[in-house]
Amino acid sequence: MKRPPIAAVALGLLAALASLIPIGYLLLRLFEGFEAALAELARARTLELLLNTIGLTVSVSLTALAIGAVQAWLTVRTNLPLAPVFAVLATLPLAIPSYVLALGYLSVFPSFSGFWAAWFTLSLATSPYVFLALSAALISSNFAAEEVARSLGKNRWQVIQSVTWPQVRPAAFASVLLVALYTLSEFGAIAILRFDTFTRAIYNAYRGSFDRTSAAALALVLVALTLVVIYFERRYRGDRWQAPTAAGRKRRIDLGRARILAAFGLGIIGLFGAGVPLVSLIGWSVNQTGFDLLRLGELVASSLAVAIAAGVVIGIFALAISVWNLRYSSRLSGAVDLTAWAAHALPAVVVALALVYFGANLVPGIYQSIWLLLLGYLILFLPNALGLVGTPIALVPRSIEEVARSQGLSKNAALTKVVLPIALPGILAGVALASLTVLKELPATLLLRPNELDTLATELWQATEVLAYSQAAPYALALIIIAGVPALALNAQARKLISEVS
Amino acid sequence: MPLLEINDVSVSFGDTEVLSGITLELESKQLLAVLGASGAGKSTLMRLIAGFDSVGAGSIVLDGETLSDTSKTVAPEKRSIGIVPQDSALFPHLNVGQNIGFGLSALSKEAKAERVRELLRLIRMEEFASRMPQELSGGQVQRVALARALAPKPKLVLLDEPFSALDAELRGQLREEVRQVLRAEGATAVLVTHDQEEALSLADRVAVLREGKIIQVGSPSEIYNSPADVGIATFLGESVLVDGKVSGGKILTDLGSLSALNNVAEGATGVVAIRSENFYLQPNPTGDSEVVGRVFFGHDALVEVQTPKLRIRARSNGPFAPEVGMRVTVWVRGAVNFYPSS
Repeated sequence: MKRPPIAAVALGLLAALASLIPIGYLLLRLFEGFEAALAELARARTLELLLNTIGLTVSVSLTALAIGAVQAWLTVRTNLPLAPVFAVLATLPLAIPSYVLALGYLSVFPSFSGFWAAWFTLSLATSPYVFLALSAALISSNFAAEEVARSLGKNRWQVIQSVTWPQVRPAAFASVLLVALYTLSEFGAIAILRFDTFTRAIYNAYRGSFDRTSAAALALVLVALTLVVIYFERRYRGDRWQAPTAAGRKRRIDLGRARILAAFGLGIIGLFGAGVPLVSLIGWSVNQTGFDLLRLGELVASSLAVAIAAGVVIGIFALAISVWNLRYSSRLSGAVDLTAWAAHALPAVVVALALVYFGANLVPGIYQSIWLLLLGYLILFLPNALGLVGTPIALVPRSIEEVARSQGLSKNAALTKVVLPIALPGILAGVALASLTVLKELPATLLLRPNELDTLATELWQATEVLAYSQAAPYALALIIIAGVPALALNAQARKLISEVS
Repeated sequence: MPLLEINDVSVSFGDTEVLSGITLELESKQLLAVLGASGAGKSTLMRLIAGFDSVGAGSIVLDGETLSDTSKTVAPEKRSIGIVPQDSALFPHLNVGQNIGFGLSALSKEAKAERVRELLRLIRMEEFASRMPQELSGGQVQRVALARALAPKPKLVLLDEPFSALDAELRGQLREEVRQVLRAEGATAVLVTHDQEEALSLADRVAVLREGKIIQVGSPSEIYNSPADVGIATFLGESVLVDGKVSGGKILTDLGSLSALNNVAEGATGVVAIRSENFYLQPNPTGDSEVVGRVFFGHDALVEVQTPKLRIRARSNGPFAPEVGMRVTVWVRGAVNFYPSS
């Protein structure tokens, strides 16, 4: 076994250490301020937060499941008119950050706030995750099995219950988990819509009163909730099985006259999920008086600069770990890969809180500098980037590498001259996606940025804090254009689905 | 009265007529093979019988009950017709026993378990009841799919190219098993296939489907020995087509004067179809024909022969197949089918 490149090992170990910071901070808080935390948790307010958070998470998860499932079934399995158009429409909310969606409604309806507003906004914003997962599962499920079930005496509804649903259940559970985690860690939309959940309370505890004990105690509860969600998903997901080759023509179910009604319903959902907010944001942006175009240009430039820098940093670390773990895998590389995932599903607010503590107490040199912000992005988005960067490398067939070796290249030379060039387009797409995610990030950016750094997201946030919703509209629109739309276009899952539906 | 009657059924998708004027009958406990190339309309016919599509004209009657006509299409679940699709389509989330028992919801728990055991015994897979579909081999998957279709004792079973995914050896073996299982269950079945060997060896009756029309219906030997036209003759097995003219009750061809199986009109011109196994190659150093190629299969060989005017392919018993370069005399054994040109 050849030794892995020393740079990959060094970067990998560094990233693993960084990823342990949030966990370490939480453990420290748990031991150090246990009693204070307990006292904090015993407050009536904490119970209220808990109920709010759980209520919102459960209701959003169920609503997103219902919306996504109906969209997926109609576009993939029935003779819905214009199915590809509706598939695009169903994924469109992916291009709109949830806090931008919230702003779109708030700028038209100033009283749009509280539980129902948050439920409405987040359900629409998260339904594409369910839609994408369920459509893929439906496409790969066995159509002929459903016809066999009909011939064995089951009617249409019984077939959906006994054959279709069991085949897509793992995908449904996985996507609902994603939605639940998304809702638990959501900050921007919830804060803008003034609904109190843990993320907003943590942020306010820290920002408003610099009460780190209280913030940390709430963070611990939030992380515990996150772990509960993950546990339940594992427990009740059901066995995964490989669908046998789904051969045969994929016949669509004839809806008869109901197809027009179905199209109409999907149109309404699409209107709420993308149409209304987009129109309102465009309207406000066009009617802006005394609008400072130069300022917008500056913000776009600074946002892009930070995002690109973060994308490059994340990409380098992800590449190092992927190369190490995929081509020179050892027990250590596996442990590093696993550790990088440790921060996965941790709410950004919690990660940011840990880094503030880390920067202020342990490494004062980077506190309130761009480096702490980049470190935050690295910890938050490395797990995703590992998948995006690792997959194209893993997809390069071993045989190609072996042919290169037989032509006289060393293992390292085969890697740099053959494997990486083949995987390069995929790797670059992964880095670009990481950058676009950074562009939209709000809570960690707010807590970790240097004072002099303003981005589109922070500027939008500040405008909403003084209730200047219409002023925030151009920033929101700019975010959709430079971050949302490219991210949707790069979304491999969405692209694959749309090509299969049409 | 036949169990299944298909009366003058036609169906179009858009502007293209996929099936036209299909009329077929099937007696109880018989197996009908619908033989046709891909695109002939076989799968469409299956879907019409199963009730997944509606007929454009005509009717389908099973056991005296009209299932499909222009005014109605009885739902698939109310037809008592079992299907075995091409890719078997076992339910991936259920084990073998649960797959077979899927359609038995009307039975009591004990009766259901007993019926599942009975079928597992019949397909000789008793010890596989709790296996998942993805743990089975290709042949086992098809046997389970057949058992699942037979479990509720349907009036009719439809088999859609059930062996096409298997390799040749397994196919022959499974074919025999399927025949036994169907017989043991007393099932009536329709098999669609593009494999003439499958159709001829398995079926009681064969219907040849071409471009949406039934060209010929008959017993396997009728179909093989008296193909209705040149197309079927070449489709059902290797045949050599030779021009001929009727004269004095015989057909004059480049291979000599041959007798016809069918009635021929004096003076008519057309072609004769001669099966490759009906040639006899007599080794003869002064013969007028020469062996120019040979493909050896073990049990027999396909020998290519250049006669003074034609090049033919003859099937010859393995050990006695002449070698390339040998001179032979070509004989045609028995009578041939003559197809006058229209």
